[in-house]
Amino acid sequence: MSVNRWLATGNYFTSYKEEQRIFFTSLDRSAMGLLLLGLFLWPLFIQLDNKYMLVIDNILVAVVAVMGLNLVTGFAGLISIGHAAFVGVGAYTIASFARVMGENHILLTHAWPLMIVVAGCIGAIFGGIVGLPALRLKHLYLAIATLSFQMIFQWTINFMDFFNQGQTISVSRVTWVTGQVSRSQHYTFWYYAILGVIVLAGFAVRNLLRTRYGRCLVAVRDNDRAADAMGMHPGFTKVYAFALAGFLAGVAGALHAYLYRGVGVESFTLHHSISFLAMAIVGGLGTLHGSFLGPLAIKLLDLQVERLSEWVGNHLTIATNLATALKPLSFGLVIVLFLMFEPRGIANWWRIVRSYVKLWPFKY
Amino acid sequence: MKMNNKIKWMFLLGAVFMVTLPVHALAGKVYKLGLSLAITGPTSDAGNPYSKGVEDYFNFVNDTKMLGDDKIECMIRDDQYNNDITKRNFEDFVSQGIVFYLNYSTGSTLALKKDFEEEKIPVLPASFHAGNLTDSNYIFLPIASYSAQAIGLAEYIVKTHQGGTPKVALFIHPSAFGRGPVEDLQKAVKAGLKMEIVEVVEHGKDLDNSAMLKRLLSKGVQYVISQTVQSPVATMLKDAASLGLTAKTFGEVGKLTFLGCHYTGGNDLVALAGPAAENFYWTTSYIVTNEPSAGATAQLDLAKKYNRDEKAANSHNYANGMMVAQVATEVIKRAKAKGKEINKANLYEELLAMNGDKAFSPGTTVGPVTFSKTDHAGVDSLQLYVVKDGLFRSTGTPFIPVYTDKIK
Amino acid sequence: MSYFFQLVVSGIVVGSIYALSALGFVLIYKSSRVLNIAHGQIIAAGAFITYALTVMVGIPIYLAFLMSMVITFFLAMSVERIFLRRLIGEPIISVIMVTIGLMSILDGLIYLTPFGTENFSFPAFLPVTPISLFGVSISWTQMVGVIVTFAMIGGFSWFFKKSTLGISMRAVSDDQLASMSIGISVPRVFGLAWAMAGLSAAAAGGIIGNITGINFDTLHAFGIIVFPVVILGGLDSILGAVVAGIIMGLIQQFASGYLDGSWGLNGTGEVMPYIILLVILLFKPHGLFGIHEIERV
Repeated sequence: MSVNRWLATGNYFTSYKEEQRIFFTSLDRSAMGLLLLGLFLWPLFIQLDNKYMLVIDNILVAVVAVMGLNLVTGFAGLISIGHAAFVGVGAYTIASFARVMGENHILLTHAWPLMIVVAGCIGAIFGGIVGLPALRLKHLYLAIATLSFQMIFQWTINFMDFFNQGQTISVSRVTWVTGQVSRSQHYTFWYYAILGVIVLAGFAVRNLLRTRYGRCLVAVRDNDRAADAMGMHPGFTKVYAFALAGFLAGVAGALHAYLYRGVGVESFTLHHSISFLAMAIVGGLGTLHGSFLGPLAIKLLDLQVERLSEWVGNHLTIATNLATALKPLSFGLVIVLFLMFEPRGIANWWRIVRSYVKLWPFKY
Repeated sequence: MKMNNKIKWMFLLGAVFMVTLPVHALAGKVYKLGLSLAITGPTSDAGNPYSKGVEDYFNFVNDTKMLGDDKIECMIRDDQYNNDITKRNFEDFVSQGIVFYLNYSTGSTLALKKDFEEEKIPVLPASFHAGNLTDSNYIFLPIASYSAQAIGLAEYIVKTHQGGTPKVALFIHPSAFGRGPVEDLQKAVKAGLKMEIVEVVEHGKDLDNSAMLKRLLSKGVQYVISQTVQSPVATMLKDAASLGLTAKTFGEVGKLTFLGCHYTGGNDLVALAGPAAENFYWTTSYIVTNEPSAGATAQLDLAKKYNRDEKAANSHNYANGMMVAQVATEVIKRAKAKGKEINKANLYEELLAMNGDKAFSPGTTVGPVTFSKTDHAGVDSLQLYVVKDGLFRSTGTPFIPVYTDKIK
Repeated sequence: MSYFFQLVVSGIVVGSIYALSALGFVLIYKSSRVLNIAHGQIIAAGAFITYALTVMVGIPIYLAFLMSMVITFFLAMSVERIFLRRLIGEPIISVIMVTIGLMSILDGLIYLTPFGTENFSFPAFLPVTPISLFGVSISWTQMVGVIVTFAMIGGFSWFFKKSTLGISMRAVSDDQLASMSIGISVPRVFGLAWAMAGLSAAAAGGIIGNITGINFDTLHAFGIIVFPVVILGGLDSILGAVVAGIIMGLIQQFASGYLDGSWGLNGTGEVMPYIILLVILLFKPHGLFGIHEIERV
């Protein structure tokens, strides 16, 4: 073929199949490969403090959750203000096993990848159930339905003895081929585990959108009547979107439970649901890399604001109030500013940079 | 055009993220401590003065050269009552090499218990939940546990009540923090404490408690022991006052006498409930500033030195924060006096040795702080206070509940 | 029996406060179709302003109450002007998210003041002895709260029925394009709706603050509890908000009065509204008084 497989300044598709390719040029493919290689290799060369490893792991868990949220909110256009509750369902699946079988049961410590999948499935079931109102409702009403699921979830955990009434239920350390993962290896180990999950989920989501099952989500979002006319069932499509989102949320919850070695209801409150939404929006709704960029941006912002607060607290004596007010303030400002000035999120910047690089040195 | 603009913005934002803030250098040895607590978010009305107490006392230690040239650097972080952030803060503190850790909420203390064990680091939380101590060697409660406080109140009821078995209701916070003492109180009743627990009420964000109060009254309840934070207690007291149900004297027949553990009381309660707080009985191990004592003077002077307002200065949570800082400073001082290296293990040893003639009297509490291998609750004695004319006044002398040992 | 009636009275008291909180929410939704998640923060701001005016400035409480309503009126109006005006015509998720962002921003701003973390209470200005009738009692604070609520709701109903401005607001909620063509300024109507919501929020804040004491956590929680209320009432009906508010109040009181403590249940009053909310959404999504225009799938 005469087309340069490494550099392309424009689109030269001659078939739909070509347009559906994951990597447009070989450059894209190798860049992706290098990035993955880098992500897997850097912990071998750089030793980070536990705090930073925890922050990174935490971001990665959020990435998994936001990928799910992006499926339901970004691709299928259904607002979910209860995503943290689905994550909680996953986490509490692990916790329930720990409660019933004892936290050191071999299923939990050795067969943990299986447990993570189980947690995802339970999350999917709950997602489907909560999605049921979507058979009848749209927009606002659906958003409020998810909100009430969030509140009911919190109440159930808080008042049931089985869930230890919201107190932390501990989950033990897992065992890997090298033996039990010790405290010093814990965060690095889970870095790899979660990264693996993300790579799998990322490719799954990317490929999903190339199939009819993924495209029907988008079709129903853009115009459900047209989708209906084309033979898709908008209601079931929405329920299915919720179930998919529930699955990824459940997986994220299980990872959270293992990472923090315990499950408490405080990690799955309405505030977290709102954070997830903010991450999805700041990252860019309806894009896959938005799911990576959003959590990264929001969590880093949080961290930087914390630092700034501390710095302000050290240098000015006006009391801690000023410093601690900055966190919600900056969080809110970021959401609002993005919605006002860049509603397509950071993913859009990424797109701009890409096309700039692609076309360079031409302007367009 | 537009594109260039956006790229510019991206660089700017990137630059903002890159801003890193340098850490300062100090002369002499620096002992690092960490405190993670809710300065904002739920329960911040207690956490805020608490953090001020800790901060001011360590500043005081450094400014007056209490440890010679050595300094204490206590990192104080806000976790907004969120366990995940507490864990991150703790990991950060650990990698910065702290020798002593101050924690805050019941939830996070329970969640991090295993980490404390593995790190072998002494911990003083602001939560006095008895459950903190199960399966744990490194958590120390600054004062008697909520359970001990509730049992102390119950014993006082049994002692003072006239005619028959007193009927008691519990009014608790819907969380681990609130539920803590319920089981222990029930155990105490089984062990022979002559009272009847008629009902356990877990409150929500109720605007109106009239119905609940009438229900309790119709069941013959005379005493309500609260284990929660001030705001719901204030609502309940206001409702009771407006219904005319509040007892004027302790145990008045046909009325309700209200009692509460550490976090239900203090000046914040009077601020919230106003005159309805009259005759509210409260127990804690801390002194109050409206009654002159050496500790009260020390507390007020400290607050004045660091320009705290009246409210913070007189808060029992300020005393609370000050006291844990005092204990931490004391163990460092003792370890230093023995010429030991200041590290986690040695400070832990010093804490365990803090008993007998080595008991520590910080002044901000009504009794000495004692720790040992078997006793991880600091101040064992409790003082009963009652609100008269908008101020908490002590009634009787400090006491130690007896049933806490009987139920073990 | 007296216990039952006490529950009824308490339910009505609590319910009318819910109704007043929901009122502002409905006003905004009715005119501009915006779901305002930051409503609780505005309620809290109203309470804080009233307190600041009475205690820190020393204005008599009745006057302070009115002044805080006026201040919040303009505050809410500027909120609309700054944050929401730009988003007219944007997808619904953006608008919801903006109000969520707004919630955080207001949180941050409130934490800059002492009100964010500390507790206050209004000076007592009403008689302490309750009104008692047939063994049922209601305190003066609550009584005044109920009266103010109904006065406000009556006022708003009159405003929407009779005044030109009110009618033009209804016109906008009915058909934006048509009302623009007859010369109604739609953005101004939106601004006004927010302003009036602010006004009612300040009233709600003042009343709640008087009953529970001024604590930020307690106050802003009212921004979430209004959801079940407004859904039950039908999102855009003022009458619906009142009836649903009172029904919710009664349900909560009955739930906690009869269910709590039996079968190991506790705190049912907290969760009941949301369970009902889910049920309503499944079976009667337009609520009791809402317009039947929900888009079905």
